[in-house]
Amino acid sequence: MIQIRAIQIRAIAAIARADFLERVRRYSFLLTMMFAIFLGYSAATGRIMIQLGGYRGVYTSAWVGALVALVTTCWVSLVGFYIVKGAIDRDRQTGVGQVLAATPLSKPSYALGKFVSNFAVLSSMVLVLAVAAVVMQIFLREDPRLDLFALLSPFVIVALPGMLLTAAVAVLFETLPMLRGGVGNVVWFFVWAFLGVALSAVTGIEWLDPLGNMTMASSMISGAYAYIPGYKGGFAFTIADKPVQVVQSFRWEGVPWTASQILLRLAWCGVAIVLVLFAAVVFDRFDSARMFGRSRRRAALAAAGAGGVFANGATLGNGAAAAVVSAPIGISVRQAAARIAGPRLTALAAGERSSAFGRLFVAELKLATKGLQWWWYAVAAGLLIAQATAPIATARQQLLGTSWLWLVLVWSGMGARETRFATRALLFSSARILPRQILASWLAGFVLAVSFGSVAGVRILATQGASALLPWIAGAALLPSMALALGVFSGTSKPFEGILTAMWYVGPMNRVSGIDYTGSSNGAPATHYAVEYLVVSVVLLVAAAAIRSRQIRSN
Amino acid sequence: MQLTIDALTKRYSGGVQALSNVSITIGSGVLGLLGPNGAGKSTLMRILATITQPTSGKVLWNNNDVARNPDALRDVLGYLPQDFGVYPNLSALEFLEYLAAVKGIAAGAARRRIGELLELVNLTEVAKRPLGGYSGGMRQRVGIAQALLNDPQLLIVDEPTAGLDPEERVRFRNLLSELSGERIVILSTHIVSDVEAVATNIAILAHGRLLAHGSPESILDSVNGQVWELVVPSGDLPTLRQRYPISSTAHRSDGVHVRIVSPAPPMMPGARVARPLEASLEDAYLAVLDSQRHNAAVAANTQPAVGATA
Repeated sequence: MIQIRAIQIRAIAAIARADFLERVRRYSFLLTMMFAIFLGYSAATGRIMIQLGGYRGVYTSAWVGALVALVTTCWVSLVGFYIVKGAIDRDRQTGVGQVLAATPLSKPSYALGKFVSNFAVLSSMVLVLAVAAVVMQIFLREDPRLDLFALLSPFVIVALPGMLLTAAVAVLFETLPMLRGGVGNVVWFFVWAFLGVALSAVTGIEWLDPLGNMTMASSMISGAYAYIPGYKGGFAFTIADKPVQVVQSFRWEGVPWTASQILLRLAWCGVAIVLVLFAAVVFDRFDSARMFGRSRRRAALAAAGAGGVFANGATLGNGAAAAVVSAPIGISVRQAAARIAGPRLTALAAGERSSAFGRLFVAELKLATKGLQWWWYAVAAGLLIAQATAPIATARQQLLGTSWLWLVLVWSGMGARETRFATRALLFSSARILPRQILASWLAGFVLAVSFGSVAGVRILATQGASALLPWIAGAALLPSMALALGVFSGTSKPFEGILTAMWYVGPMNRVSGIDYTGSSNGAPATHYAVEYLVVSVVLLVAAAAIRSRQIRSN
Repeated sequence: MQLTIDALTKRYSGGVQALSNVSITIGSGVLGLLGPNGAGKSTLMRILATITQPTSGKVLWNNNDVARNPDALRDVLGYLPQDFGVYPNLSALEFLEYLAAVKGIAAGAARRRIGELLELVNLTEVAKRPLGGYSGGMRQRVGIAQALLNDPQLLIVDEPTAGLDPEERVRFRNLLSELSGERIVILSTHIVSDVEAVATNIAILAHGRLLAHGSPESILDSVNGQVWELVVPSGDLPTLRQRYPISSTAHRSDGVHVRIVSPAPPMMPGARVARPLEASLEDAYLAVLDSQRHNAAVAANTQPAVGATA
């Protein structure tokens, strides 16, 4: 029994180690660390801060620790999910999964191995931020006393359990067929918002706080009521856009962690383990027969080997074929082949070449939309009807924003599918691929944006005039440009899926101008943003073309 | 029509030397590129297909530098990579239409060509099924069809018979033979029999170096009189393997019939006198590789010790 456990632990460690090494040796890991350093820098230089109704306390070790731990739980858990999700998919794509599936490795061991690897990646980001917190405390010198426990305990008690949950949800999403792809990337944003804030706020139960943010916020708010005379409530963890008043008398010394609070944080670690074990139960162990819906039908077709053998076809469809088939593999095949007429492939004349841009555009449009189910179009049609019937302010902001969000999985393949489906060598060895293919792909994305926002566009034109249409056009241009640039740069669809979902929530739904890609400002057109969007669109397109050009030269 | 490879060298970041000063001039016909795994064949193919840049050296297509104007070659290039993917939601027909548009083939010509190619690779009946449901062999045939879409003058096929069953392999070889008349076909493989069947010229690569290049006849000539059969008891086989490069073995009632490549008749105590055999391309390939290993070992042994003092 003990021996079996030791073998399982070794297997988990081996899976985690191999997966972690595979990730840290990729260029993207460097970008991940740079992101963590950027967050640390933003917190250390006061760009990100905690405000209590326009006030803040002295930067004590506890305050700095809480601030940077909040940065960690908020941003590293949100973005980190997109960074770590893909560990199982990589094994699926590379075929390593099938090799592992043929070993005695158990599903829980595999899932736990991937979970540990996910956690290790997220923890390395937490470590960078913890170091940033120490540096911040030393250099800011608002409080010369360095209390390492107060500074670092939020990372251990709050941030690390949050990372465990993020790592576990990433494994779970990868094992659930519905959430494995782009849908999961969109759903995560809402899960994250729910876990981070809404669960505790909606239920009013303070301990329902998986990421631990509310516990720290409550403690700070209590301190503010006690020490800030003019404080009337409010807690904002925000990007600093205006000066705040530092209250010298308010020295928050941290959450006085009780045993029950610590146990609760440990319980969330237990929840993470339970999620991973549940993921192990539903994991298909790379069995194509257990795939979902269309993937299963495809796998069944592939297994059946439909399609016969390589034809004699146009060339060999005559009596001589039998001689060739029966010929031994050797020089005699050449002799046999010589007796047969050449292939009846008609040669291409010189005039039969063209730029074919129109057909390339249609092909890109087909490529983007192929595989969408009827219900996807039904929802899109429903959103168009809503654009026609809702008040114009709602139609041009929330509904247009949602209609374009509905295209997220269609757009997110742009620029990334050549890497995802390993067609780069086929495409990049074609003449004049640039700029034709990039432009055709972008145009397909733009036409989709125009189509799915058309009803709102017509109403804007009819009610607000032609000039009000400019922000609408700019939004339609911006989103495919973003998708293309991020797809070409990252080779995956995840960054765009995550960013557009966050933009939709902050922009059209919470009416933050500038982030609102529909070009609205409280339902009215925002022309100055439109010009910025158009400039950004062009910059992104040029960047996408430049990166693609580099990829073609050094594929 | 001529493809000139001039002093081509490729060193990857991390110091891996994939190609070292490779020079060949290739005319119409099938060039069979042979070499063990890791010889640099795929790197050479990728450079010729304009998707990898050499560290130094040149590739000239009809005397024009490909690095300066890659599109001149890409216009007439058909490339079947060793590893390639397809878009699983598209059918074979749609995938080929897409690539025809990418390659800039006019609409009418593309329709005609795609129809002919689907028939040639026997995928007409399943042409409208999503590629995600295709078997490995069927996908490989789609790859072959896409490589021929633009009626290429230079066809580069990297391990093309991987995934094909024996019958498909024979037919694919026939196709290559028939296509090679007025164009250059470069077939990279480590399957000697594939090259033996179709190549009009052969190049052998190992450790990134060109070891031999010539017609099949000249390559075979180089090992004429160096192939022997020796019959030994099966217990002697391990000793024999240590002494000589063995091309093949066959167990018979009188012992193991061993095919050996050696300049001098091989000898084993207690064995019958070696019988000379006609050389095959596989023997020649082994002889070239063995000679390269021998030369490398000699060079290593004769290197003066670094830092040695008198």
